[in-house]
Amino acid sequence: MVRPLPNLLALITLALGALSCGDEKAGIPAPSGLGPRQGGQVVVAIGADLATFNEYQWAPEAAEFEVLDLLFPTLMVEHPDFALRPPSFGERLATSWEFSSDNRHLTFHLRPGARWSDGVPVTAEDVRFTYSVQKDPDLGAIGLEFKDFITAVEVIDPLTVRFTFSHVYPYQLMDANDGHIVPAHVWSAVPRADWRTTDFSKMLVTCGPYRLAAHTRSQTIVLERDPAFWGHPRPYIDRLVFRVIPEVSSQVNQLLAGHVDVVRAVPPRDADRVRARDDLELIEFPSRDWGYLAWNNAVPPFNDRRVRRAMSMAINRKAAVDSVFLGHARLAHGPILSSMWAFNRNLPAMPHDPEAARVALAEVGWRDTDGDGTLERDGKRLEFEILFPAANTFRRDLAQLISADLARVGVRARPVPIEANAFLARQERGEFTAMLAAWTEATRIELSSIWTTRSETLGSYNFISYSNPEVDRLIAAARLDADHSRAQVLLDRIQELIVLDQPVTFLYERNDLVGLSRRIRGADINAAGLFFNVQEWYWEP
Amino acid sequence: MGRWLLRRLAAAALIVWLVATATFFLVALAPGDITQRLADTRVSPQVREQWRRAFGLDRPLVTRYAEWIGGAVRGDLSTSWTTYRPVAAMIGEALPNTVLLTAAGLLLELLGGVAIALRQARRPFGVGDRLLTFATLLAFAMPTFWVALLLADVFAFRLPLFPPSHMHSPAGELAVGWRRLADLAHHSVLPVLAIGITGVGAIARYVRGSLLDERGQGYVLAARARGCSARRTLRVHALPNALLPLITVLGLSLPFLVSGSLVIEVVFSWPGMGQLVYSAALARDLPTLMGGTVVITVAVVLGNLVADVAYAMVDPRVRLGGAA
Repeated sequence: MVRPLPNLLALITLALGALSCGDEKAGIPAPSGLGPRQGGQVVVAIGADLATFNEYQWAPEAAEFEVLDLLFPTLMVEHPDFALRPPSFGERLATSWEFSSDNRHLTFHLRPGARWSDGVPVTAEDVRFTYSVQKDPDLGAIGLEFKDFITAVEVIDPLTVRFTFSHVYPYQLMDANDGHIVPAHVWSAVPRADWRTTDFSKMLVTCGPYRLAAHTRSQTIVLERDPAFWGHPRPYIDRLVFRVIPEVSSQVNQLLAGHVDVVRAVPPRDADRVRARDDLELIEFPSRDWGYLAWNNAVPPFNDRRVRRAMSMAINRKAAVDSVFLGHARLAHGPILSSMWAFNRNLPAMPHDPEAARVALAEVGWRDTDGDGTLERDGKRLEFEILFPAANTFRRDLAQLISADLARVGVRARPVPIEANAFLARQERGEFTAMLAAWTEATRIELSSIWTTRSETLGSYNFISYSNPEVDRLIAAARLDADHSRAQVLLDRIQELIVLDQPVTFLYERNDLVGLSRRIRGADINAAGLFFNVQEWYWEP
Repeated sequence: MGRWLLRRLAAAALIVWLVATATFFLVALAPGDITQRLADTRVSPQVREQWRRAFGLDRPLVTRYAEWIGGAVRGDLSTSWTTYRPVAAMIGEALPNTVLLTAAGLLLELLGGVAIALRQARRPFGVGDRLLTFATLLAFAMPTFWVALLLADVFAFRLPLFPPSHMHSPAGELAVGWRRLADLAHHSVLPVLAIGITGVGAIARYVRGSLLDERGQGYVLAARARGCSARRTLRVHALPNALLPLITVLGLSLPFLVSGSLVIEVVFSWPGMGQLVYSAALARDLPTLMGGTVVITVAVVLGNLVADVAYAMVDPRVRLGGAA
């Protein structure tokens, strides 16, 4: 059976969507008779320099990844349609692909004529080499686990490569596509044992719409249009200049002054300054970062879900999130982002109800018996610390607001700032009662590492020690179900159970705020990344 | 003096070793390590374990220390855990950037400070002196980051006379020769001013104080009695002696010359030692952090040594080695 992927209907919908958004966003209609024009440079602010040009040496930050994506190809391009369905894919280095009848083999047909920046053709051998790097246990590339179920990658001929999977599961295409293809003919010369001490910028061969023109460490990366680029369409913008500006406020100031054209992450406090300008545009869309108040489910009193639920009801979550993020975040409801296809839209919301919280706490024995305003049980007061990373002002403000809300029902929660690395270390060791933590989600539904009961192989990031056997069972079943409407039923139930248990108090889902010059036309910036359609950007004539 | 110098050099080496050792253990024992940031995206525990092994974090602390110190003694500062480049090469890039900025800033504060002090000492406790005292104290009290942000706001954003950040413009980055130099000079103006303004107050206060001390000395009166003008007496006779205490101040500034100002570097996106060491500390990039610390420690120790030697050279009353 050949899988109908990429889904034609999805592609058409997307294409239409992109077209209409593009026009809307541009604001000013393009002067008739003047199409996109070639030339110019776009200056983009970034917070830190690229640590390395080889993503398999280290774990690139999201912003670094976006730069690497301009230099190295993936087999397919992932469409930003995860709000409607599991992501679909379009052509990139591969022009077509098909599954075998048992769905355990996936064959990619590579684009004839694709070349590296040194003129050498891109072949199936590059794909196989990349896989061997990704899978190398001694390198421990960060996407290693995505290759767990890929047992072999074989070169059929120079333009055909076949992936073999250990079993059939929903994310086979996504796993095969994970990671950029790197040049076998140059990088295979470096012995694997030396990869960790090799400066790959000295042997940089790329294969993207742009290539490296200049790089001054910690200052500027200049990419220029690669005239030999094989993809379509070829970019209009001649140069992309990345300026390292560590301070976000400085980035915004330089955007306002016209020194940079694009700022990736405008802080909520600066959003209005950008929006107030006629020559700048502020694009807002749901990011994949969400935050929560973690309860240690292993220790009293938070090993009792009635207490956790009472906490969630006592906190005015909506007010806290709105005031801290100034309206640029949405209230989080459950373990799946509300921007994902699998989000359960009928999820029962936790109400803000301090009176019900007080009653619930009294039912489990927490009462203010000595009249000092704090609840007690068996002579012990209900007091604890809320830990948060010291440099994070959002979480600092949230901690203050939450502490005040809890005080109103007689719970003493003291906000305690901790240095970021120490914070993560305590989170990992479970050395906390309550802490303000956050995760960044991928575009796949991945629930097992944080919500399944901790064991040798599962729940490795379940720092809160949450355990519900029913949830474990459902997550295991949903992971294997390749039919997403069937999986949806399981995922709906998982979300309900987790919300009932309130192992954490769900707080916020942040928005991404991108500021850019209105004179840049054709940019379709969305959750798929800043440069999703960079080839179509052009300067207003 | 030869033996004295040898003793001081040995002590300096000891201090550098002590600081490096203390830093190594403090950082190694601090909670969290370089693989911590991998947790953010929930990579598998096996991958993190592999990273720990690759960086040798699974081996005993003492072994790692012995390896590092062995390398450092041979001049090998090892490879960065974030950029995979030799730490020495990274310092080699950051250090000149820092020295360029701090040396120019230091020169500005020195010349400015002495000029202000001379003006003040001409008529001590007059209106001009009091106004300048107020101004220098104000400059001394202003936090560096505030001055830096203010300068950027006024001279880069409100009046776009100077670029707000970086060592080069994108065009200057691709330019060569004198164009590149001019571009660099243009970009240095604001950060150098920020260093100069916040440092000038202290120098002015110092020099003014010692000038006033010298004014009462017999040789100054003698000069005046010989008919030397007040101005000339101040500049030619009092000033050289008044500058002696400044040698100590400058010796103590040498570390700053090397370590740079993190605040200035962050505000003006200047890729110097401050940013290098700070980001290494945040990322728990141990080799880079250690390399930076050693270089800065050496600067502190050498700074003190140079100040002592210089003092002995300009002031014949001072004898080194206690042989007087």
